[in-house]
Amino acid sequence: MIRCDEFITELGSLLDDEVAVEIRQQLELHLAHCRSCQVLYDSTRKTLRIVTESGSFDYPHPIAEPMVERIMSRIRSSCDTDQSPTE
Amino acid sequence: MTFLHFEDNGPRNSPVLAFFKSNFGFVPNVFRDQMLRSDIVQAEANLIDSVLLKQGALTRFQKECILLVVSAANSNTYSVALFGQTLEILGTSREQSERIAVDLQNSNCGEADKALLEAIKKLAETPAAFSKPDIESLRRHGFTDEQILESILIAGLANFLNTVQIGLGAVPDFPPLVVFPLKKEVNLSSDSGRPTIEQPLAEDFPCEDPDTEIVARVRAGETDAFEELVRKHGRRIYRSLVGILGSADEAEDVMQDVFMKAYQHIGDFEGRSRFSTWLVRIAINTAIQRVRGRKAIGSLEDEDGEFRPRNIQAWQDDPEQCCSKEEMRRLIEKEIIKLPMKYRLVLMLRDVEELSTAEAANALGLGVPAVKARLVRGRLMLREALVPYFSKESTGVTA
Repeated sequence: MIRCDEFITELGSLLDDEVAVEIRQQLELHLAHCRSCQVLYDSTRKTLRIVTESGSFDYPHPIAEPMVERIMSRIRSSCDTDQSPTE
Repeated sequence: MTFLHFEDNGPRNSPVLAFFKSNFGFVPNVFRDQMLRSDIVQAEANLIDSVLLKQGALTRFQKECILLVVSAANSNTYSVALFGQTLEILGTSREQSERIAVDLQNSNCGEADKALLEAIKKLAETPAAFSKPDIESLRRHGFTDEQILESILIAGLANFLNTVQIGLGAVPDFPPLVVFPLKKEVNLSSDSGRPTIEQPLAEDFPCEDPDTEIVARVRAGETDAFEELVRKHGRRIYRSLVGILGSADEAEDVMQDVFMKAYQHIGDFEGRSRFSTWLVRIAINTAIQRVRGRKAIGSLEDEDGEFRPRNIQAWQDDPEQCCSKEEMRRLIEKEIIKLPMKYRLVLMLRDVEELSTAEAANALGLGVPAVKARLVRGRLMLREALVPYFSKESTGVTA
């Protein structure tokens, strides 16, 4: 049976469902016998779920007006110095 | 979407499909369409792993060029697009891939590689004419017998895949790089006699990009229309930049560069992805360049030492119920930003931006195994940081 450190090495692929059948069987066998790795697998899976579902870094407010103005002012002045889009 | 009667109702996360997703970022239709016999697809995956992916005597670039040249010799539009895309992920421009496929001598391949690819092309186009002097010529160009063997095996693999694709009628995964048959035309401005490359027809790849019209106006010179794109996508870009750079001030600074680059290069946007996707890629690349430019960051390429989780406490069944969505969002952002840079970058690209492993590897200039190793480390570190909030013994979130 595989060891805990080997399980941890494959944990990412297991979470992403990217492991070959034979490796998955070994990982599941390990999980069935190792309480620590069960906890680790469960809590890392939940971590991943929270990260993808929490809307982290997805700011609820529209971009601030001064920022839009700074960006557009820089772009308009670039047009004056002939850095217009390449076509 | 194949000539055969085939209900694509197999498991979406079948391990063999996961192999392709993991190594190429997607599952090419030529394999998906064979899933009536997933056991054979598995055998093909094993062959691809041994011949193409595992380090051998040839470089990955050389191998991908062979796949491309043989597919062009077979006039296989599907495969040329597929392998052209892979070369692009490896850092070769579409223009160079196009040249390697149909105008090898004018490509920027080295002389030895040109000799190798010409020999392989001969093997694919006129196998009866291929003989021992061709092998001896390759030896004179410095290729070892192991390299020559790998070249021939890869050529055989390309022939096999081309035949399977034609036989099954697998539909393209990407817009064509080159459309076969090639039209020859006299080009007075060039003495290379290079064939004309037909552009893909728009209706072949319907574009549902909601920004198409605004982008067209900007390209036509209507600078003010770009403001609509800034307002529409600014928040999304800001989010990517804060996560990668770890600083709101720096994100605001870099954001101007991102939109400036997008404006200046909007003429290069070919509509092969949504405009928003293209913009996010610019943001990621600009942020990564900024990170690389920092002096105190330490090397992003350092080897990873061993990491062992310490706090192994069981979590509550439903940690999302511990706090409001807003509190959760703030907590996750706070803890992701605290992660060491090299783990944070990979976690941001894969789990927040949802890039494929191959795309993240390409953006960071790392190999796929390194990205995978850092991703698992980053996730474990984040998990460790969240234990006090979500373990069964925890008292809640006060982020």
